[in-house]
Parts: sequence; C-alpha cells; structure tokens
Amino acid sequence: MNESNIYLQDLTRGIVKENPVFRLLLGLCPVLGVTAFFVNGLGMGLAATAVLISSNLVISIIKGFIPQRVRIPCFIVIIATFVTVIEMVLEAFQPDLHEALGVFVPLIVVNCVILGRAEAFASRRPVLRSLLDGIGVGLGFTLALGILSFVREVAGQGTILGPDAESAVHLFGPVFEPMGIFAQPPGAFIALGILVALTNVLFKRFKID
Amino acid sequence: MREILRLSITLAVIAILSASLLTGMESITEPIIRERRHEEFLKTLQDFFPEVDDYETEEIEGDQYNIIYDSDDEIIGIMAATETTGYGGTINYYLAVNREGEIIGIRIISHSETPGIGDVITADGFQEQFIGKSYEDPIEAGEDVDIVSGATESTGSMIDSISRVVNTIAEYFLGQGGGSIDFSAIPDGVYRGSVDGTDGILTVEVEIVSGMLERIDILEQNETDTYFIEAYPLVPELIIEKQALDIDTRTGATLSSERIVSAVKTALPGSTGDNGGDGLSE
Repeated sequence: MNESNIYLQDLTRGIVKENPVFRLLLGLCPVLGVTAFFVNGLGMGLAATAVLISSNLVISIIKGFIPQRVRIPCFIVIIATFVTVIEMVLEAFQPDLHEALGVFVPLIVVNCVILGRAEAFASRRPVLRSLLDGIGVGLGFTLALGILSFVREVAGQGTILGPDAESAVHLFGPVFEPMGIFAQPPGAFIALGILVALTNVLFKRFKID
Repeated sequence: MREILRLSITLAVIAILSASLLTGMESITEPIIRERRHEEFLKTLQDFFPEVDDYETEEIEGDQYNIIYDSDDEIIGIMAATETTGYGGTINYYLAVNREGEIIGIRIISHSETPGIGDVITADGFQEQFIGKSYEDPIEAGEDVDIVSGATESTGSMIDSISRVVNTIAEYFLGQGGGSIDFSAIPDGVYRGSVDGTDGILTVEVEIVSGMLERIDILEQNETDTYFIEAYPLVPELIIEKQALDIDTRTGATLSSERIVSAVKTALPGSTGDNGGDGLSE
C-alpha cells in the first residue's frame, strides 16, 4: 500500500465504513439526546468534531511524554480542556446553540468516540495520520447526527431549521400533524434503529466491508 | 519512588498547561458572554417597556426585580428575572408587570422541558392566558389559566411561580396587596371589616387617628379557641406596633392570624382585600 493511500484511508474510514454511530454504535448519548432538531444535531456533531481533532492532534504530539500507566487520566484532562474551550466559545458566539445543546456539551468529555480514538489511534500513530483520523471520524459523527436529526425534525415537528421560529421552514403546511414521538427520546431510539438497519441493508447490498 | 514521581509530574504538567489555556480562553470569552447577556436583557426590557429610560435592580428572595423608570422618573413597571423548577430542570424567565400590577409579558430565557410536551410553556397560547391578569385576579391552575394535559408539571410550576412573583411585585414595589397600606392616606375614623373564618365570619373594628392605626378590636369570631388564643391579642398588637400588615403570622395559628390581617385589610377603605371590602365608616 503506498503512502498517500494510507492517508486517504485514515481520512475516509470514519465517514462511512467505520461510521462511529451507524457502524460502531459509539457515543450514542448525545446522538439520542440532541437530535430533535437538525441545527442542534449538526452543531453537536461539529462541536464533537472540533474536540476530536484537537485532542487527536495534541495526544499524538505528546504521546512520547505520557507514561503508559497514567495515559487515560492524561487523555481525559486534555479532552476536558478542549471541551471547556469549545463550551466557552459556543456560549460567547453561538448562544442559541449553546442553550440548545445544554448539558451535552460538557458530556462530550466522556463521549467514547473521542476517548476511543485517542486511545486506539492517536496515542500510537504519527501526528498527520491522527489529524486525518480525527477529521474523518468527526465528519462521520457529524454526518450521522445530521441524518438522524433531519429525519427526527421532519417527522417529529414537520419543520426544518427549527427551533428558531425565524429560520424554521414548515414543510407540509398547516394540515400536517407531526408524529410527536419522533421529537421525544423514544423516537430517537426508533429513528436510530431504522437508520442502522438501513445502513446494514445498504452495506450488504453493495458489499462494502 | 522515581516512577511515581515521574507519573505525578507528567500529570501535573498537563494539568497546569490545561489550566493556563482555560484561563486564557476564559479571559477572552467572559466579557463577550457578559456583554451579550446584558444586551439580551436590555432588548427584552425595551420590548416590554418601549418608553424605558432608566432602571434599577433589587434582589428579593433570590429573584431580581428591575424597577423601570420613564424619562420623568416615574415607575412604569417591574421586570422580574426569576426561576422555577419544571419537569426537566430549572426554568429561567422574565415577567414584566406594568404600574397597575397587570402582567404585560413573559419571556422564557432558558428551560429544559421535554420537547413537544413541556416546551408548551414557551408557546404564545400558554403565555397569553396571563397577559392582563393582575395581582388582584386569582391565578389558579386549572381554573383561571389552563394546565396543559401531559405537561402538568411544566405548566403548573410556571403558573405557581408567576402568581408568586406578581404578588411579590405588587407588595414590594407597587404598594398594593400584602403589607404596605399607607395608613396616613386614610381619613380618621372607625372602620369595620369581615372575612369568612373557620366556622363563621370574623369581624374587626379598627380606628385610625391622625394617620395612625390606633386600635383593632375583634367584634365577632368563630375560630377554634385553642388556636385563636395564639393569634389574639398578639396579632393586633403587632400590627399596631409595626403600623403595617405584613407581620409574621403566628405558628400554630397561621389561619387565624391571616384572617385577622385580611379582616383589617378589608376594613380599610381603598385597600385591596381579597374578600372585597365591606368597610363602613362611622
């Protein structure tokens, strides 16, 4: 395998083939929690991506200095630092999104996608590969949250680009009665289940693996 | 030993670096966050009170009350920043009340109620029920304002909280309801007032002499003796001593104490007793 191929693989692996949500079922807590609205799902995905890229990068840079026995506490401190930075930035510049994501922003600290990539990838690979891996997995996570929240908002609210009343577009007109369950936690499980099943069918059909 | 030292130092270095990064970020974002919150607050203020010129903030029982003045330094209303506990967590909101004590607006700042169920508290349909209601109107859940079925906790706690805040505003800032009756504005004379008690009505006679509350007599009462003895003559004495009706009610005789207070309130002309004044002047 030539060199550029490895890098391309690092970048794309996380998006489809090893999509953290639909394929590996990792980090499901925010996936289920904040996907009632498309904007929130996308925002959560991008916030997690930013943390993932930064933590992958930093952990890969300093991996030589971290003793094996305290690596997990070190990773957690680094991840928590970036999460707090992201939270402060969101609160300052994207207050509505910060409000909507609520407790799920601090919970990115324990998102197993991020710790998983730090432990399994960034702490053993060169800096550039870790960076690409962070971007790829982050995009995959964002993509999954985007699809799930799109489905849930359209089905559960009949709108897109809500909950902000100014930007919300009502798709079906006033006679449409939204399926309220999709806006609620049980609906998140149902929608996720359907999407995971769909991904599996597609993977089988096109023999991706 | 050497190994432990190495582990500790590594952890400490990482923690110190993290802390300095966070301190740096905090100093950048904190002023922006504070500025933005203040702007939002001012915008809400202007939405509710377009003629606002100045305001001052007072804190009562953990809630913030902003007294709004127009350009002539007249109070035009109060905007309270307060919170209550809903189903999913804390609900922060602004409640604006005009000079007459009527609710003119509610704005939810933040909440964590269930999307599609409890977030009905942010809907116009729910909030409009309160508009125009004052401290004099009963705000009773399920009777005067509707509880939304499925969202009992969310809407119920909002209703309770709004009712409490409106009364606090009327009592502290608008000089109505509650304890602040201006006795000096009442002409001298003897007044009587009655309220419904435990087993019948309770009637008091009060005398105003040169703007002071001089005497409170109980003319008729049907209270439970063991409790009433706790409230009388102590409650009238306290009212006369303080020249105010917002006395601490007697533990163990709360109802009797409150009845005496509201009977006195009913007796005085121009007051706003809950039972409708039937005071008579002699």
